[in-house]
Amino acid sequence: MAVAVAPAGIELAPRRRPHRGALWWVYTVGKVIAGAVFVLAALFPVAWMIIAGFKSKTEVISTPFQFFPEVWKWENYVQILADPTFTRTMLWTFLGAVLFTVLALTVNSLAAYAFARLDFRFKRTLWVLVITTMFIPGMTILLTSFIVVTRLQMLDTLAVLVIPGAASAGMIFFIRQFYLSIPSSLEEAAMLDGCGRLRIFTHLFLPLSKPPFVVMGITAFLAYWNSYVWPILTITSPEQYVVQQYLATFRSERSTELGLLMAGSVLAAAPVIILFLIFQRQIIGNIKMAGLK
Amino acid sequence: MTATQTMMTEPEAMILPKGRDRRRRHNRYRFRDGKIAYWLILPAVVLLGIFVIWPAVYAAYLSFQDWSFYKDPQFVGWRNYTNVLTDPLFWAAIGRGFVFVAMTVPPMLLLAFFFSSLVVSVSRHFASVLKVSIYLPTIISSVITSIIFVLIYNYSGGLLNAFLGLFGIDPVAWIGDPSWALLAIAVPAIWLGMGLTSLIMVAAMVDIPNEYYEAAAMEGANWWQKTFFITIPQMKNIFLYLLITGFVAAIQQFELPLVMTGGGPLDSTTLPNLFIFNHFRNDINVGYSIAAALLLFVVLGTVSALVFRFVNSERLVD
Repeated sequence: MAVAVAPAGIELAPRRRPHRGALWWVYTVGKVIAGAVFVLAALFPVAWMIIAGFKSKTEVISTPFQFFPEVWKWENYVQILADPTFTRTMLWTFLGAVLFTVLALTVNSLAAYAFARLDFRFKRTLWVLVITTMFIPGMTILLTSFIVVTRLQMLDTLAVLVIPGAASAGMIFFIRQFYLSIPSSLEEAAMLDGCGRLRIFTHLFLPLSKPPFVVMGITAFLAYWNSYVWPILTITSPEQYVVQQYLATFRSERSTELGLLMAGSVLAAAPVIILFLIFQRQIIGNIKMAGLK
Repeated sequence: MTATQTMMTEPEAMILPKGRDRRRRHNRYRFRDGKIAYWLILPAVVLLGIFVIWPAVYAAYLSFQDWSFYKDPQFVGWRNYTNVLTDPLFWAAIGRGFVFVAMTVPPMLLLAFFFSSLVVSVSRHFASVLKVSIYLPTIISSVITSIIFVLIYNYSGGLLNAFLGLFGIDPVAWIGDPSWALLAIAVPAIWLGMGLTSLIMVAAMVDIPNEYYEAAAMEGANWWQKTFFITIPQMKNIFLYLLITGFVAAIQQFELPLVMTGGGPLDSTTLPNLFIFNHFRNDINVGYSIAAALLLFVVLGTVSALVFRFVNSERLVD
């Protein structure tokens, strides 16, 4: 019984409580304050936006300034939600974002699988071509892309928002990295069982793809939901507006209805904030910088 | 002679087709999935081709043409480029871009460094609260950020001037005054960009082997010594990476000034990309805007390609 006991010296040494001197307290309090400052700085503008959504027209900016509203009102939120233009824009943007995400994941994961696992002629050339597109700044091709979609008569349709950005070298690269890490013995076993390449993709790779799909899906959804410059170039009729465009137009056209504008902004930010809070672990966990030392 | 000739050619004649045949057979085996592979990459390659590669090639072509939507292109050589490079407004925009980089990137790196030093030294729960909070702004759109900050900056009834008023400071027209406007845009830019920078830094700091710190602690090193002799030297590649990517991102910033100020007052917030964008919207001669955009591409595309090679060198080539 006594055999398993550790050497006497260690066993007998009393577990010392960490010494908490004055310096320890200074450090701890300092850390808490510093942390609180970071949290406050990061969340304050969002909190202020939410609070301002409860204010009346004249209260958002007022002299003397009041941080909290005189009376907390739900009216702004009720009114903007009752506005059919706003709700339709939100739904339209949501629909577009979902279509965009699904299309992007489909197109890019297929290519990622081929580049990760299959061997074909001109693979290297094609891969370099794909990767090169990652380094073309958006502004360089913004103007000529606009000319291209004009020629294709895609202006002012949902297609112009969903299709042009769907294929993305960054996403192909990311998903390919993941596929490269899947052991090929799994694939060989499936092949011995007579699975074709497509079946291997749909029955083996897709079910394993959840982690990269979550991260990339959210990236795509966010990119669509927050996009502003491409829509203002390509969408002109108000009934086709996306939500960011709606807000910017609202701000310039109804500049006095600030409470309403803030409520609209809160509702427009809500879907992505909720999405982020649900998947924060995956999103934050994904940020790693391996191989950079 | 004929005998030797046949002797020499015969084996070759026998081997060559055989070798070619073997290679062909080998390739047929190696590329047995070729057809399906092409089908799989087809959608992505076609989309990239139409909406990225073709526009890029087309941009390169148009930059040498005098062209607008209303007339046929006409070759003008390097004229668009010389027009851009001799335009003081273009250089002013580039200079402003550098000022903006100086306003955003160093403060962001410094803050992110403090932030990650804090994160690695607190409990796991507190650390995850910190990380989630700092990342939240990243997902807020530029338009909403602009709306929020413009209202905070409001001259007579905004939060910032009211706050400064508590200390007896006179109100400032943050985005109406050319000397303040660029700084007023730098703050939301930092707010939006802090999340990613900080979390990359946290990830790098967590990766530093703990033994270094234990050894240093045994020698009696204090926090400053550990920071200067272990943390900073261990993270110098991360700093370089964040500095360069931060530079590339900041000099391309243009949604914030577009929504907040439209480039004004007196062009004080016309950053390079906004300069090009406004030019494109107002000038029917597309060649100039495209040439300017391409010049930016040559510089920035090269920089980011180098960074990518540096980061992913062993992953890109296999």
